[in-house]
Amino acid sequence: MSKLPVLNIFTNFSAAVFQRDVIAGAREVFDNCGYQTAIIEVTTTPTSLADLPIERDLAGALIITSVLPDAVIGELHHQKVPISLVSHQMAHIPGVMPNNRQGIAMLMEHLVVAHGRKRPVFIMGYMTQTDGIQRTAAFEQEVMRYNLNVPPAFYLRGDFSPEVAAESMMQFLSFDPDFDAVVASDYLMAEAAMQVIKASGRRVPEDVAIVAFGDGPEAAQAGITTVAADITELGRRAARQLLGQIEGLRIRGLTLLSTELIKRETTANRAKVSTGK
Amino acid sequence: MKPLKATREQIRQHNRQLLLRAIYTGLADNRAALAAETGLAKPTVSDLIGELIDEGLLIESGRGESTDSGGKRPTLIKFVPNARQVIGVSLDNGRAFAVLSNLAGQIIAQHYDELDNAQGDEAVEILIEVINGLVAQLDAPLLCIGVGVPGVVDVRGGVIADSSPLGWYNYALVERLTAQFSVPVYTGNSAELTALGEYAFGLNSDADSSNLVTVLVTNSVEVGITLDGTAYHQGGDISAFHERERLDHLLGWPAVQQRAAELRAKHPDSMLPERGLTYMHVHYAALNGDAAAIQLCDELSTHLAGIMAWTIGLIRPNHVSLAGPIVNLGEPFLNQIIAKTEAMLWSKVIRPVSFSLAYSGNLSAIGAAALALHRELDIL
Repeated sequence: MSKLPVLNIFTNFSAAVFQRDVIAGAREVFDNCGYQTAIIEVTTTPTSLADLPIERDLAGALIITSVLPDAVIGELHHQKVPISLVSHQMAHIPGVMPNNRQGIAMLMEHLVVAHGRKRPVFIMGYMTQTDGIQRTAAFEQEVMRYNLNVPPAFYLRGDFSPEVAAESMMQFLSFDPDFDAVVASDYLMAEAAMQVIKASGRRVPEDVAIVAFGDGPEAAQAGITTVAADITELGRRAARQLLGQIEGLRIRGLTLLSTELIKRETTANRAKVSTGK
Repeated sequence: MKPLKATREQIRQHNRQLLLRAIYTGLADNRAALAAETGLAKPTVSDLIGELIDEGLLIESGRGESTDSGGKRPTLIKFVPNARQVIGVSLDNGRAFAVLSNLAGQIIAQHYDELDNAQGDEAVEILIEVINGLVAQLDAPLLCIGVGVPGVVDVRGGVIADSSPLGWYNYALVERLTAQFSVPVYTGNSAELTALGEYAFGLNSDADSSNLVTVLVTNSVEVGITLDGTAYHQGGDISAFHERERLDHLLGWPAVQQRAAELRAKHPDSMLPERGLTYMHVHYAALNGDAAAIQLCDELSTHLAGIMAWTIGLIRPNHVSLAGPIVNLGEPFLNQIIAKTEAMLWSKVIRPVSFSLAYSGNLSAIGAAALALHRELDIL
């Protein structure tokens, strides 16, 4: 029996929510198309391809965020291995990303236009990752669109880590700042920050409205308003892009996945909330 | 000269489009009603409907009500929007931006890449590789492709007569892409397709946009027109028009950046950044009283008001929209343009006209998909 062609998915933490969902979507497509998938957990940063357990006849590689240095990705590309990047950008290598600009614009329109919030705090993602950089840049654009005054101290470090976000929020609150909303670069950071805000005696959403990028069961459970990008679908799209290249399509650029606003309790109307019903 | 007679194949194609359009727009939902609505003979309707069902574009879906005079209940026929997919691409503003839509215009995926100032064949290669990005995402057979191009476009011949941003001069774009993708390809001017996108998919649903003019400002200045819902293909690139200066030397993004630098030098305390300037920076600075930004908005609105006044005076549209990244200058900027346009026209000419900013950045690509759908199935 002939061996199935092998595709590698590179991850640095396959159990993390985002990476887990990307892998699930991609595997579904690869399995249906008769490919064998090998997940490679990158635990230490490789300096060259030789540091990675890659098969000689690798059919293609799907690389999630910045788990591999660009130089190593370049090496793989140079060997003519088809590559698709998920939430990462490199010249001449195609990728798939959520529409970060659209998502942040939706969140800000909801906060500012629908709920009249004017003093938002932004919890940033990991600022070496494309998603983190793009969402912060999109927030800055929307701050200008609505002519808001957001001082540098209102940009909190989050690193896509609930612990880091909670710590940053705690420090921020110690200055007793005047703010009325939180925009988080992902929903797990928003949930952690919300716990800190509530513990400080501030009411959500009466005193502070909270919104976040991305969606999952934790956001629904906590009642956080989000923009959802279907991450499993992101994985499927990346897999199709990779298979397209394996079948001979020359592809460049990024496939964008649209986002959708999901309104929940953290931006409920103040009047409605205050009735307690 | 005697008018040319339509061939049998052209008549068949026309009749198929008549039937599809009648079903798509809800005018008829069964064979008898289709015959009455289109004037085609019942056997012709039955043959063509059978053909369209075989191709997956239509399905039979249960029975309708019998007529007042009784008789057999008709078999209902429905349009299948997901039977085929369409790709629309725009080449504005230094990037190739593509959308994949179903036959109802619903966007399924988007794909883009920067053009990096590519010209000629290099620009075509980028376009092909961006389209391939969506070919990989197809869920149904690809029906056709539409491409919006800045510059002067021979729509009928599928030739780009003059597009200096892309270095295409008398370039047979449709022939090249048809050979590559083996599906029908259509092309049009970006601004015309932006106007068509607004009209076709109701992106401007609050305003009466049956006679719509779109002024698209990117690196060039273009005017797109839809009259009674049909793209008018004699608009397009007006960058070279000038009184004292070419329009793209006044309104094109490189010119705007240069003017911003001059004004910043005149006002050293300006908030406008030296690097990475966007229209959003200008908007924000102007709202916060920045003298350089205020003067820049004043100058740009004066140039645009001149274009609006000529366009309204000549075409008498019921709606005018401004498109391109310049819309990030926001409503205060639009109000300046309106006030200056009003000052140039009789009030009875401008009173019926409404104005808007077309915020969607992918209208031209959506319009390209709309053009392709219209030309291929006549269902818009």
